[in-house]
Amino acid sequence: MMLTRSLTAFALLALPLLAWSQAAPSGDPVAGQRKTQMCAGCHSIPGWRTAYPEVYGVPKIGGQHPAYIVKSLQAYKSGERNHPSMRAIAATLSDQDMADLAAYYGATEPRTASK
Amino acid sequence: MTGPLRYILAAALLGAAAAAGAADMKAGEAKAKEVCQACHGLDGNNPTPDYPKLGGQRPDYLAKALRDYKSGARKNAIMASFAGTLSPQDIANLAAYYAAQPPVLVVTH
Repeated sequence: MMLTRSLTAFALLALPLLAWSQAAPSGDPVAGQRKTQMCAGCHSIPGWRTAYPEVYGVPKIGGQHPAYIVKSLQAYKSGERNHPSMRAIAATLSDQDMADLAAYYGATEPRTASK
Repeated sequence: MTGPLRYILAAALLGAAAAAGAADMKAGEAKAKEVCQACHGLDGNNPTPDYPKLGGQRPDYLAKALRDYKSGARKNAIMASFAGTLSPQDIANLAAYYAAQPPVLVVTH
């Protein structure tokens, strides 16, 4: 009984620590800006369109929620989202890279506004 | 792909695009109030971090995302159920509507 109680108490105390240690890395927008080489060729050109496998306007990501940007990159990396170039690029990104890029692109003050 | 098949396919694609018709902003707004607003906001500038902002997003990207949710090419349980109810005309209307909202999304240089 005593042992069960101790174990329960330990689990209750340990769980938040475990959750904390697995939390997503926090993003650094300055580091993110240095990692945009692979993004800028499509996402930084106003009016740019995809070429393959379907043609449509490349989504604007400046000002997007950082959490959503990370979620999208993870979905490309896992294959859940299937755009070929995005899958290839996201596969090379670490969790820290994703957080940094999200912090850079998701900054609420756009550096250059372009419609 | 060569010969007549290419032209037939091109005509079919043009036909599909034309079938969706010109976007109707009023109808898009009405559908946005009904289906999208609760999560994305009526102006597409929602505060919920997990859901994308849509205001000022490119209309053909929005339409593609909705088509992919509807077809299952893009997997998301929440969006699949909403997009599944949309007709091609609804998708064209909604894409045009959110693209025309104040641009909270920008091309960042």
